[in-house]
Order: sequence, then structure tokens, then C-alpha cells
Amino acid sequence: MLSEAKILAELCEAVVSGDVDAAARAAKEVVGKRVDPVKAIENGLSKGARIIGDKFEKLEIFLPDLLVAAEAMKTGLEILLAEIPKDKTLRKGTVVCGTVKGDVHEIGKRIVAALLQANGFEVYDLGADVPSSRFIEEAGRVRADIIGLSALMSSTLGAQKDVIDYLEAVGERKKYVVMVGGGPTTQEWADQIGADGYAKTAPEAVKLAIKLVKSKRRLS
Amino acid sequence: MVSFLDVMDKALTGKPCSERDYTLKVFSARLKEIVKEHGIKFDPKFPIPSDNGLADEIFRAAFDLFIDVGAYCKDTERIISFDENELREGLRLAPSKVVLGEGQDAKALVPRKPEDKTAPWCFLGAGGGPVSSDEVFLGLLEGYASIPEANSITTPALTSVSGLRIRPRSPLEALGAIRNAVLAREAMRRVGRPGLPIMNTLATAESATSLAIALHPKYGLRNTDGYMIAVMDPLIVDFDRLNKVCAALSFNAPIGACFDPLLGGYSGGPEGTAVANVAYHFLSALVYQSSWHLPFPLHINYVCSSTPEMLWVISASGQAISRNTHLLSLNLNYAAAGPVTEMCLYETAASVTAAVVSGLSFEALGVATNKYEDRMTPMEPRLSAEVAHGVVGMKRAEANELVKKLLRKYMDKIANAPLGKKFQECFDIRRGKPSEEYVRVYNKVKKELRDLGVEFQH
Repeated sequence: MLSEAKILAELCEAVVSGDVDAAARAAKEVVGKRVDPVKAIENGLSKGARIIGDKFEKLEIFLPDLLVAAEAMKTGLEILLAEIPKDKTLRKGTVVCGTVKGDVHEIGKRIVAALLQANGFEVYDLGADVPSSRFIEEAGRVRADIIGLSALMSSTLGAQKDVIDYLEAVGERKKYVVMVGGGPTTQEWADQIGADGYAKTAPEAVKLAIKLVKSKRRLS
Repeated sequence: MVSFLDVMDKALTGKPCSERDYTLKVFSARLKEIVKEHGIKFDPKFPIPSDNGLADEIFRAAFDLFIDVGAYCKDTERIISFDENELREGLRLAPSKVVLGEGQDAKALVPRKPEDKTAPWCFLGAGGGPVSSDEVFLGLLEGYASIPEANSITTPALTSVSGLRIRPRSPLEALGAIRNAVLAREAMRRVGRPGLPIMNTLATAESATSLAIALHPKYGLRNTDGYMIAVMDPLIVDFDRLNKVCAALSFNAPIGACFDPLLGGYSGGPEGTAVANVAYHFLSALVYQSSWHLPFPLHINYVCSSTPEMLWVISASGQAISRNTHLLSLNLNYAAAGPVTEMCLYETAASVTAAVVSGLSFEALGVATNKYEDRMTPMEPRLSAEVAHGVVGMKRAEANELVKKLLRKYMDKIANAPLGKKFQECFDIRRGKPSEEYVRVYNKVKKELRDLGVEFQH
């Protein structure tokens, strides 16, 4: 019989080591042993996510480790969230993200998506070369809080503005927080095109996303 | 020799694989094993190592990696694989000399060895950095072409055309690409060097369509310019980029693949990044049929190439290439700091030194991480070129001590590097003169570098 503390430690370790099977096993153990799933998420999975985030920032681990950690987190989270009543959901928010139309670069966006996922956001990653309307359709379908727009090239940056303009044109701009990021983006550019947030690094993007969703929910 | 049609055949018939599996299970997993198998280790005491055995081991590791993982075609979702004979033959038959430019500005780009006394090829300019207007573009280009050491020019990328922001794959991008070609030629004509080659043809043409449109002879591009075509990380190509290869090959133009393995990304730490950087040269030679090669490894957090780990990646992988092949390789460096800062000049001096003493030529440079509009001037590439000529023939051990002293001057600021000033703020564009403030900063840094052992020629 595993103790509660041991199960939580296993959940944390599954995320840190990026072990999807171990994350599923430990999450099922939580359910079987009737451990509080909220506690398991906060003190198990999220603890692991914090460790991973810190290690990546210091480059003690690298992108592949981060991506598998995010998958382990997602697996554990799906099992545990099913045990929590809908009104008590612990999701920090829902994000639809992608690289804008005309741009096929994905690494930066994948890092942000993985860290958001590891920190308890539900993330719908639309990939690269995504048309404006696709962001908006998906955000409506999943009732997203945030639309995240990535661009790597100075020549593709304009497509971030197109998504925001499209949102304005169809009268849906106020429904979503829009964050922009990627190689050539700056705070100045974000202000110029009317984005709600810009972050220079992936960990900063996670902190900003948490803050922006909180303030969005306070206002609505 | 593997032909471009062979490459397309391999892209259509190679082993099927999802991109996720290729990046994580094939590339990253195998690279991690290979680094361990070959016992490659980064030693922070030697950002510029003098160990020939290490360089050769990195080369062998990259050879094994490329044979095992090949390249990945995003559009067909297949692995483009090569056997050992194809790779050996590809390296043997790759060009060992290419003549670029026309008239008095024509010159042969030749291979170098570590500590070589042959002057490096100075490929100078903006590294494709973003600029806001035709005026800034022309002013920068005239400044770059006026640098006496310049052998070729790297243009900035226009972000707008007549006030309209360029959109990817749109007619605006095509118009920007045409303007890029026309303005660059005009700028070089104005300063009396009309034959200088543009080697990042064309920074504004992200798509193959825009490049093809701007290739009309009326716009001034020549087959003695260099046709730079990007590879995605890790070892990934797609049809759009292969279309550019097809266009350049069709009129016998010299292709240079550019690639940026990220330290902290799919390649892992400095050891994996160095091995991957060499493997990218193999992709460049075989898949893109490149005549020359442009590595620009970058740090994933700081987006620059001036940290100790990055200097080691440039130097160790550069030595691996220059000792074991005759490939014509030019390292592109990025500085974290911007114009009119001492830090930017120290950074580029360190990165260029690492490249030149390791047997590479160089492209200089991306300023202030190459992301801020107009935040670049002709002064940073000018210093880079002067340093490059000043360290030719320097022993790697001596260069190691030099860059360690430079690192001490800026490493504590690397995470929050000063962005400095925009071109318009520190240059008289009409007269083509830097501000007095910048001249003072430049001369101060140059004096310090001279005191540290750089033998400036003027």
C-alpha cells in the first residue's frame, strides 16, 4: 500500500522524468486510494512542473526533456481532472496557440505551449502556418481564455496583427486575451498592434498568462 | 554524387515518420547517445579548445549522427537518409572554392584550417535584421559596402513597402524582395563597389515565390551572388525551401544553407549542439547541394553566440569541419547588446575570434539579437572585420586567453544586455558618418583589444 505522500512524490517524479506511463499509474493510484485529486494536482503534478520550469530556465535540462514532461503532466492531469466536479476545476485557463499564417517555425511556440501545459493550462496547439479564422474558430469551440500568436520572422510578424484585426472585424476581440511572442516580437510591437501581452521568454509568458487570465475572469 | 533529383526521390520514398517522433525519438535521442559514445565534453576553461582530438571526435560523432538520422522532410513526413558512401562522396565532391562577385570585387572564397594565416572571407552587414524604411536600408548598405575588408554583403530585411507592413507569401513580400535587390545594388554602385556580391539573397524573400519573382535579371541579382536558404531545426527541410534550392540550381547559382542549432533546444547542451552543427553541414552539402555553408548556432535563452558555451560550439565544431573537410564554412554571430555599447563590440570580437582561429570564415552580424528594427549600424561589422584580420594566424591557446578576458567584460550583463541606439540615433545617414559618441566608444574598445593582443592592420 503506497502512502499518500509517496503517491504525490511519484506524481511529481513522473513529471520531472517525463514518464507518461508512470504519471498515468500514479494518477490512477490517486483515484484508487481516494486521495484528494485537488491536492494531488497541486502537491504532485504542479510541484513537478515547477521543478521542470526552473531547470529549463537554468538549462539544466533541454527542450526534449521539457516536451516529454509536459506530456506526462497532461496525462496525469486528464485522469485527475475527471475526478473533480466541473465547478471546482483547477485549470488555470484555456489557450489556443499557433504560429501565424506564412510562418512554419514552431520551436519557440512549442516551448511556451509545453510550459503552459505543465503549469495547468489546457492548451490547443494548432501548429504552424495557421490562418486567422482558424484561431478564432478553435478559440470559440473550446471557449478559450487566451489566443497565443507566434512568429519567428520579421516578414511574418504582420500576420499577428491580421489575427487581431480579424477579431476586431468579426466583433470578437473582447472575448479573448491575445498574447504575442517569437523572435522578432517586442513590447513595442505588441502595443502597436493592440495585443494584451508580450513576454520575452517562455517562463515569463506563463506568469503573464496566469496574471492576464485572472484579470480577465475578474472583469467578466 | 547524390543529385537533387535523388534527394527528391529520397524525400518521397524515405522512411515515414511523424515530425514529433523525428525530433524527439530519432534526432534528440540518438544525438544524446552519440555524445556519450564519443565521450565529448565541454570544458568552460577552454571556450576556444586547442585539442585536435576533440575536434576530430566531434566530426566522427556528426558523421554517425547524420548516417543514423538523415534529414526530415516536413511535407512528405519522411526521413531523407544517406549511406556512408554517399556522405563521403558528397563531402569529397563539395566545392573547395567558389568565386563570388564581379569585376574588381570578384574574389575566391577558399577553405581555411585552424590557426591559418589565410585571411578569412568577410561577409559583412545586417544578417537579415529588420529595418523600417528604404532610407535606413540604403544608408546601412552604403556603410557596409564602404568597409574596406568587405568581401560580400549581408542585407537587412525590409519590414514594409511604402508604409505597408509586409505579409508572408503576399505580393507585399514579393515587392519587398524586389526592392531589397534593387536598393542593395544601388547602394553598392553609389559607393563605387558595384561588383560586391550579396550573399544573403534575399533576406526579405521568406517564401520561394518571392525569391523567384525577384530573380528577374532586371532587378540586378547575379549568379555570382550567394543564395542563402534556411534549414529548420533539427535537420528539417520543406518543399518551400527545396523550391528555392531548385530555383538557384537551375541557373547555377552558389547556394549556402543557413542553420541555427539552438543550445538548449533539440540538440541539448554544448556538446550536442557542436555535433549537430557539423551534421547540418552534411545536410547542406547533400540535400541543398550547397557551395558554401552558414552555421549560426545560438543560445536558446539569450539568442546570441557570445556566451562561453557558444564560443566553444563555434570553435569546436568549426575545427571539426575545417580539419576534416574542405567545406567553405562561414559562422554568423549574434550579439546580445546593441549599437553604441562597448558590450556589443566585445561580444562580436569574441565570436569572430573563435571562428577565425578555428579555420572558419565569418558573417557579421546580428546586433541586439537581430530582432529590433533599425538597431544596427555599419560600425559593428566594421569592428568584426578589423578584429578578424587582426587575429589571423593567432594560436588557439592565445585566442582562448583573449576571449576569456573579453567574457569577463560582459557575461554578467548577458541576460539583460543594453539595446543601445537605433541607426538613426547614432548615425548621420545623409553623410554616412557615425556620431562622435559612437566613434569614442569604438576607439576605446579597439584600443583595449589592441592591448589584449589583436594586431589591427590600421
